Amino acid sequence: MRIFATLLFAFLSNLALVAKPGDVPKAKLAAFRTRVEPVLKRVCVVCHGPEKQKGKLRIDTLDPDLQKGKDVSWWLEVFDVISNSEMPPEDAEAQLTDSEKVQVVDWLSGEIQVASQVRRSEQGHTSFRRMTRYEYKYALQDLLGLPHDFSRDLPPETSSVDGFKNSSEMLQMTAVQFAEYRGQARRALELATVRGERPAPVYYGISMKAASAKVDATYAAFVEKKKKQIKNSVITLDEALKKQAAKYALKLGSAHFKNLITDHGVRTHWSYGGAKYAWKPTRERPEVPAILDDVVVIPANQKFIIDLGDGLPDTGNMRVRIRAARLNDESKHLPTLRMYFGNQPSNDSRLVVKVGGPDVTIDSPPGKPRFYQWDVPLADTPRNAFRGIYKLGQTPNPGEFLSLRNTSSTPVSLVIDYLEIIAPALDQWPPASHTRIFHEGRTEDEKAYAREVLSRFMERAWRRPVSEAEVSQKMALFSKLRPQCEDFQEAMVEVLASVISSPKYLYLVRDGKEGKGASRLSDFELATRLSFFLWSSQPDEELMGLAKQGKLSDAKVLQEQTKRLLSDPKSQRFARHFTRQWLGMEELDFLKFDSNAYGNVDPLLVESMKQEPVALFAEMLRHNRPVMDFLHSDYALVNARLAGHYGLPEVFGDQMRKVKLSPEMKRGGLLGQAGLLAMNSNGKDSNPLKRGIWMLENLLNDPPPPPPPAVPEIDLADPEILKLTLKQRMEDHRDDPACFSCHSKIDPWGIAFENFDALGQWRDQIGGKPVDAASVLFNKDELHGMKGLKDYLLANRQDQFARAMAHKMAGYALGRPLTFGDRAQVDRITADLRKSGDGLADLLFLIVKSDLFQLN
Amino acid sequence: MNMNLSSLDRRKFLRGAGVALALPCLETFADSARAAVKPVQRKRLACFYLPDGVPMPLEKDPSFKDWSWFPHGRGKDFTFTKCMETLEPLRKELTVFSGLSHPAVRHVHGHRNADQFLTGADTGAMDDHYQNSISLDQVFAAHAGEHTRHDSLVMSTDGGTGSPRGAHTLSYNAQGRPIPAEHKPKRIFDMLFVKSGPDAAHRLALSQSALDDLMEDANSLNRSLSKHDQETLADYLQSVRDTEVKVEKAKRWLNIPMPRVDTDLLKLDVTPDDSRNFLRTMYELIYLAFKTDTTRTATYQLGRENGVGISDYLARAVGYKTAHNLSHETKKPDGYKNFGTYCRFINEELGRFASRLKATPEPGGEGNMLDNTALLFGSASSAFHLSRNYPLILMGGRNMGFKHGRYLKYGQGNEKHQATSGISSDSGWRAEMDYTELPLSNLYLTMLHKFGVETESFGGSTGTLSEV
Repeated sequence: MRIFATLLFAFLSNLALVAKPGDVPKAKLAAFRTRVEPVLKRVCVVCHGPEKQKGKLRIDTLDPDLQKGKDVSWWLEVFDVISNSEMPPEDAEAQLTDSEKVQVVDWLSGEIQVASQVRRSEQGHTSFRRMTRYEYKYALQDLLGLPHDFSRDLPPETSSVDGFKNSSEMLQMTAVQFAEYRGQARRALELATVRGERPAPVYYGISMKAASAKVDATYAAFVEKKKKQIKNSVITLDEALKKQAAKYALKLGSAHFKNLITDHGVRTHWSYGGAKYAWKPTRERPEVPAILDDVVVIPANQKFIIDLGDGLPDTGNMRVRIRAARLNDESKHLPTLRMYFGNQPSNDSRLVVKVGGPDVTIDSPPGKPRFYQWDVPLADTPRNAFRGIYKLGQTPNPGEFLSLRNTSSTPVSLVIDYLEIIAPALDQWPPASHTRIFHEGRTEDEKAYAREVLSRFMERAWRRPVSEAEVSQKMALFSKLRPQCEDFQEAMVEVLASVISSPKYLYLVRDGKEGKGASRLSDFELATRLSFFLWSSQPDEELMGLAKQGKLSDAKVLQEQTKRLLSDPKSQRFARHFTRQWLGMEELDFLKFDSNAYGNVDPLLVESMKQEPVALFAEMLRHNRPVMDFLHSDYALVNARLAGHYGLPEVFGDQMRKVKLSPEMKRGGLLGQAGLLAMNSNGKDSNPLKRGIWMLENLLNDPPPPPPPAVPEIDLADPEILKLTLKQRMEDHRDDPACFSCHSKIDPWGIAFENFDALGQWRDQIGGKPVDAASVLFNKDELHGMKGLKDYLLANRQDQFARAMAHKMAGYALGRPLTFGDRAQVDRITADLRKSGDGLADLLFLIVKSDLFQLN
Repeated sequence: MNMNLSSLDRRKFLRGAGVALALPCLETFADSARAAVKPVQRKRLACFYLPDGVPMPLEKDPSFKDWSWFPHGRGKDFTFTKCMETLEPLRKELTVFSGLSHPAVRHVHGHRNADQFLTGADTGAMDDHYQNSISLDQVFAAHAGEHTRHDSLVMSTDGGTGSPRGAHTLSYNAQGRPIPAEHKPKRIFDMLFVKSGPDAAHRLALSQSALDDLMEDANSLNRSLSKHDQETLADYLQSVRDTEVKVEKAKRWLNIPMPRVDTDLLKLDVTPDDSRNFLRTMYELIYLAFKTDTTRTATYQLGRENGVGISDYLARAVGYKTAHNLSHETKKPDGYKNFGTYCRFINEELGRFASRLKATPEPGGEGNMLDNTALLFGSASSAFHLSRNYPLILMGGRNMGFKHGRYLKYGQGNEKHQATSGISSDSGWRAEMDYTELPLSNLYLTMLHKFGVETESFGGSTGTLSEV
């Protein structure tokens, strides 16, 4: 707290200085000579002077002019290590007195603020950048009102040093990518617009009574066949049927058909060859039967496959309606249903993809099933490439199927008695995506209508009013293309595609007005920056309306709009993308757990691990919780599966929810989260080094220096080394002078995590020996395990963490790397955040209202 | 043989306009201008895939001597078995490899691995997430494609893309998406040698106008940007320009007369039922495409894995019903002989194609066509479903620096192939193997370097093979 007060004081006292117009501040060199230099000479020069240059730093030759000098990054380093009490080391002969420390920190923080302000006003800063791949996906979905993902074939984005994918300097464009944008633009517009009459849908109405009868009939036919075969044979019918009977016999652990009254049952069946169980669609909608006693029972972790043959159309919305209920109400847990769409053309090739959004909780009581509904855009789903080429039942088999999986993590079953599919299911014709572009009121005058369609579309796509000249340019393209095209619509689709392949669509955040250098964003630019920050997509009508009226830049309106955007479901994109990038969670996607150490790790567990950090972030944002909750909280966001992993009782269902934690500090916050611990392991064992570096880089924004060239490897062939525990091995490595300076700053942090294994499970022993999670920091402070680490961070590093949060969040909000010139602004946001109580939502508001956000 | 004045004029026109475009070096043109033009150094690549592996009897098996696919001996001192002796006349033009495979899928069933033969990607087992990467031929095509009407020719007996892990194509684009293979000789012929339809011209015209318009957008945006931001947008401007050059090239090719080829030898309505003639026709189409410099890259997947589909009929040429079954029935009487006889036929037709290239002088260049063409032939499994020790032959390409006449064995501990032979059940491909192999991508990287493609790695390569 002491340092924070100093920092805040220094900041406020320097503000006045910068605020005076025309008064260019000068470096306080005299103060340096009298108050700072003597202290540094007395305390630091022993190790960082003419004799020795530990860590390659020589302090007595640094240029004390931070505004014009070249040593700013060294001074930032000096500022950090002194204010974090990392320097001088505890065992050094010369120590800083408290007043000396304040003198140095005071002078440095003041100079840093002023220099940062001065440099910012001198340097250009720019967030001008291409949309990221995921922003392109959302923006096109929001613009066209389509559920499809048009970004799949775009190359993946490279992460910036801070881990962000939306960072202006990383977002490239190549001819290949440009071709992809053009191709997807046309594809998207062709899917959004329609021609001709309303297409007649096909229907499937499948009762489980009929499905079960189909299986019974197949078995009966088999029995008949066998009967004939054994007429002249010595074996009995029972013997002949043994194997087959076992295949059909009821097995309660797998999906099975069952009559709820008679209890008669048979196992469900599906086979890729011969299309034996394929259903044929009808042109008329089958009548929905009254609730049936014949159901299919799907126990937890089991699937039920329905073969739809090759009767589904290529495009359009497939609506799946499933009448389902719980089998019984013996458990407090509710089953969840997930849908997959797939095909298997031959026995070496199967493709199954999850469709229809998040899992659906089946909450209908036993005996009272109701319909649950999914919409699946068929053109967005990988289809069987053999449809229309081979006949159903041939190999390769052109058939497709739905696979319904009960994904509940606890043993609760669900039942289905009837299933209906309509494809394409249309709520209106032409669909809204069409009329949104080709609005009603088309006149005889083709050109006048084209101009109207274009200017409406361009304004929405380009997120600003478009000029007469811009519309005329597109009209010229229309006139050129029109004679070459079959009809009006074909020409228009071409022109509209060029609107969304244009740099004016793909690049953020200029509104097309002339003007260079640092200036305040226009209302339209502000709308775009805000919506890409919180929705990863374009502004909606309300934001655009306010921008048009010039009201958005009004502080109060902006605050209200920020709140509105945050309360919209689209802000889940922000929680997801910011959290994943901030914490570097892509690593978790690529992690493979060692099967010898952990067996087959349950995919639901991994999925839940990936959700937990995002869920915590969203929860904290919703309730404006202090950002310190990331370091430790007395609650966690878990579902039943994760609760099981953590040993937390009484959590039901697969949705993440807030759970109170008991006071011991194993979990709570980010540090004890299984996914993050697993991600920073190697899949087999913990990796203290990785965990330490991750915490320094991602949470404290204090990245350790990269390893020097020619680092000696730990020699695992040496039997003496093999005998050591992991911690001892690290200590051994650290004793090497080449490694010491870096590792002494990293290892102790990572050691504190040692009670967690590679799956993030708590452990008290490693290989029969008790876990040793005690370590000594560079400045001789001691850490004792996770609780010790959290205590230490909360007692000593709150300022640093708040500043790191502000830095990361601002970098993401701006979509560009922050530089020294931004430091004063980030410090101001940090100071205000700390004053107002550290609220996560407050941090967003502070960023949005800052000059950092509002200046170009 | 008539002089094509229009193409000459266009060439002159382009030079005048300062547009650097590669124009086809048609035979007509090359002949008339040979005196003035120095020899063209073309580089070509054709890749072939045989599904279901090859005969791999154990050393103690009586059929080992005659019917094991791999030759006996090593280095320059090797003898072909009956499986391969049909390639004896080309002995000095080829190298046989053993001990190479793609590491990412060594534990995956061989029938799922045709997808990754030219990519080296981790395409995974049955229900894994599926992601492929760019194939060897497409890397080369991106490099050599600018010289020819078609960047590459992608063919298979079964046609289309097939399904994930059940590929009907060897070629994958930069995003790892399958490029559909052509399988009808008539269609391939029309595509290569008959004027393309009005639709292509129409699309190009639309494209041209749209590009002009996007360039205008980019320029007007550029004017409102700071210098720094203009640098960011420069990528976009460059992309539009690159695309314009491509469209321009495609348009020019539209107007350049198709090369005239002799169709007497071609049976364009042949189907795989008539298997020998079908194979010959497919090879002949590649030969003609190369000879007329219509493309310099070709892939042909002789059959899809697992005998599902029409390619399974190729075995009819030598009197068997279907090809895939032969790989399953090696332990039956004459099993290896039957499987080997089929492979002998496949090798014979491959040799026939290579000999034809060898017998044809390079149009406008040096040596014969085989000297300027690298032919890669192989399978993603050796013995029954085993994704190791791929059978591989590399032929031709002398002018690119390939050295031949050898049988190169890589890896350690399986010199006699005993670990990878005699397998006839699925426990074989599942077994842990106690010997080492090198990544096949090391060979691919070596090939790319000889083609002049500057890249540091390909498909999980760990280095190059200096002997090749």
